[in-house]
Amino acid sequence: MNPRIIINFVTDMKNWVRNRGAVFWTIAFPVMLILIFGAIFSGSDEVEYEIYVQDLDSSTMSQSFIEMLGNISFFSVKSIPVEENITIYMEKHDLKRALLIPSGFGEAINHSFIDPNVSVNISFYYDPGEQSSNPIVKDIVFSSIQMLNMNLSGGRNIVGMKLISILTEEYDYIDFFIPGIIGITIMTSNIYGSIERNTKYRKNGVLRKLLTTPITRAEWILSKMLFMLFLSFLSTGIIIGVGILMWNAIININMLVFILIIATSFLFSGLGMIIGRFVKEEETADSAAGAITFPMMFLAGTFFPLEHMPLFLQTFARVLPLYYVNEGLRNAMVYLDFEKAVLNTAYVLVFTCVFFIAGVLLTKWREE
Amino acid sequence: MPEKTVKCPKCNKIVTVTGKPGEVVKIICPSCKTLGKVTFPAQLSSNDIAIEVNNLRKEYGDLVAVDNISFKVHIGEVFAFLGPNGAGKTTTVEIIEAIRKPTSGIIRIFGKDISVSFDEIKEKIGVLPQEFHSFERLTVKETLVYFSSLYKNRVDIDDLLIVMGLKHVENMLYKNLSGGLRQRVGVAIALVNDPEIVFLDEPTTGLDPRSRRDVWRIIAGLREKGKTVFLTTHYMEEAEFLADHVAIIHRGRIIAEGSPSELITRYGQGDVLHIKKCKPENALEIIRAKGFNARLGEEGDIMIRIDHRERVLEVLSMLRHECIDYESIDIRRVNLEEIFLQLTGAKLSEE
Repeated sequence: MNPRIIINFVTDMKNWVRNRGAVFWTIAFPVMLILIFGAIFSGSDEVEYEIYVQDLDSSTMSQSFIEMLGNISFFSVKSIPVEENITIYMEKHDLKRALLIPSGFGEAINHSFIDPNVSVNISFYYDPGEQSSNPIVKDIVFSSIQMLNMNLSGGRNIVGMKLISILTEEYDYIDFFIPGIIGITIMTSNIYGSIERNTKYRKNGVLRKLLTTPITRAEWILSKMLFMLFLSFLSTGIIIGVGILMWNAIININMLVFILIIATSFLFSGLGMIIGRFVKEEETADSAAGAITFPMMFLAGTFFPLEHMPLFLQTFARVLPLYYVNEGLRNAMVYLDFEKAVLNTAYVLVFTCVFFIAGVLLTKWREE
Repeated sequence: MPEKTVKCPKCNKIVTVTGKPGEVVKIICPSCKTLGKVTFPAQLSSNDIAIEVNNLRKEYGDLVAVDNISFKVHIGEVFAFLGPNGAGKTTTVEIIEAIRKPTSGIIRIFGKDISVSFDEIKEKIGVLPQEFHSFERLTVKETLVYFSSLYKNRVDIDDLLIVMGLKHVENMLYKNLSGGLRQRVGVAIALVNDPEIVFLDEPTTGLDPRSRRDVWRIIAGLREKGKTVFLTTHYMEEAEFLADHVAIIHRGRIIAEGSPSELITRYGQGDVLHIKKCKPENALEIIRAKGFNARLGEEGDIMIRIDHRERVLEVLSMLRHECIDYESIDIRRVNLEEIFLQLTGAKLSEE
C-alpha cells in the first residue's frame, strides 16, 4: 500500500487514541447506551397501540368482542381482510401483532352453554422482537378475554388465547437495539471526524501545509476514509461483543453487514464533508452536525420502533438515511430477512453515492 | 564583483563594499572605526533566480488584493516581503505556494511555471503557512516523522531536532508546547525535506522577543547554509535584521524594493530625532509650523526627520525658543518603518 496512506493512517490512530473525547464517543458512549437501555428498556408505555384483527367468524359474538377491544382507550383496532393469510399480511405490512378470531367462534361459545367441555381460542400473533409494547398488548387482550369469559359464564374459560410467534427465534429488545447503536456510532464518528478534517485542519493551516507537500488530495481522503472504516469496524465489534457477553444478544455477521458498515461510513463522511464545506468554523460545524445527528438518532428508529411515532414522523423517518441503515442492519444481523436487508442496503448505497460524491466534490483544498 | 552599499549603524557613514558571491566581508567604518561584516548572496546572476513573479494579480470580486506585482528572488538570499496586515503579503506567498489561484500572472520557481510543474517543485520547497498549528496529539518527533514521510528527500529527524533546538521536547505533545516552540516546530516541519526554498509566512507573529530572536537565529542559519528564504513579515526590524533583499508591499502593490541598506540610502537620508513626552499638547503643530518634518509617535512623543546631524542644534534651539518641554531626546538612524511612513503616509503597525 502507498506509504503516505499508511503514515496518515498511523498518525490518525495516534491522534485518536490520545483524544479521550473521541475514544469516549466512539467506544464508551455506545457501550454505556447498550448497558443502560438494555437494563431499563422492558416496559415503556405507549399512548395508543394498534391492534389488527382478522375476524374469520363474522358472528355477533366476534363482533361484540372486537367492539369490546375498540372500547379500550389505548387500542386502535383495525381489521385484516378475511381472504388474507394473517402471517403473510403481517410481514407485508410490518405488523408487530394481530388477533385471529377463528371461524366457528360464535357457534363454539353458544355450544359451550350446552357442553361445558367446548372451548375456543383466539390466536395472538406477535413479533417477538417487539418487546416494548407486545407484552403490554398481550396482557390487555388476555384481560379482555377473561372479562368476556366472566360475562358469558361467570368465569369459566370458554374463550382462551393462543400465542403464536411470527418468527422462528425469540428476540429481545437488545437485539433490536444493537444494530441501532451501531448505526448511530458510525454516523457520529464519521460526521464529526469528517468535520474535524475539513474545518479544524483548514483553520489551523494543516490543509494549506499539505497542499504544498507531495501528498495528493485523493491519498489524503483515502487514508482518512480507511481510518474511519477501521474505527467503524472497531466500534461495531465492541458493541456486538458487549451485547453478546452482557445480554446474550442474537447477532449474525454476513456480507451484507460488512457492505452496510462500509457504505454507512462513506455516507456519513460525505455528509460531514458537506457540512464542513458550508460551515467554516469548527464549533459552528459541530453544532450543525449535532443539529442533524441528534434528531436523526431519535427519528430513525434507533431506540424505538418507528410504529411508536406519529404518522407524520414515520413518513419523515423514511427520508432519513439512518433509518435504512438501522433497518438494513437489523434485517441482516438479527432477523435474517435478507430480502428486506438487500432493499435497505440498496437505499443506503444510493444515499452513499449522493452524499459521498457531493462531499468529495465540494471539499476543496485550495483557498479561493 | 558585486557591490553593496551599507550604512554604519553608529555614525551613519555610507560605505561601499565589494565581495564575491557567497562571501562574508569584514569591514571597518572609515569614520568611527566600528567593525562590521557584510554577507553577499551566493549567486546573483539571472540564471540563478529561485522565484520569478510576473504581473501577478489577485482579485476577490471588486477587491484587488494583489495588483500586478513583479519581482525576483535570487538563490541563496533571504527575501523579505514586508508590509502591514492586509497589504497582500500572505495572498502573494500563498499564490506562489500554489495554495491560491491567481487571477492573472505567471510564477516560475527555478524557471518552471508552477501552474504546470508544481508537483515537481513541491519536493524542493518547504512551507510554514501563516498561523499554522500541527496535529495536537502527536509528539514533536512524530510530527516531523509524519511530514518527512510525505517526501522522497528526507533529512535525519534526530539531526533536525538538534539543529532546531527541539531535542529536549521531542516527546512532548504539540498541544503542550509554548508558542515559541510551536513556531520552531513549524519551521522544522518546513525543513524536513531539506528544501532549496523555504517559505516562512509571518513566523514570529505573536511571539515574545526571546522566541522571536530564536526564530531569527534559525533563519540566519538557513541563509548560511545557502537556502533561499522567502519571509513575509510586518516587523521592519525583522526584515532589516534578516533580509538581503526587501520588497515593501502596500495595498497590493510593491512600493519599494532593494536591500535594506539600499532602501535606507535611497529613501532614508538623514536621521530621526525622537523627542519623548513633549508638552504642550499642540507641540506638533508648533514644530511643523517652523518647517520641520515631524510626526506624532506613541505617548506624546514627536519624531522629527533631519537631513544632517548639524540640524540637531537648530531643533534644540527651536524647542527652547517655543517653550516646548520634553523628557529626553535621542537620535536614531532612519529605518524601514520611517521609509514606509515616508512612502505611504502610514505606519506599518497602523495598517
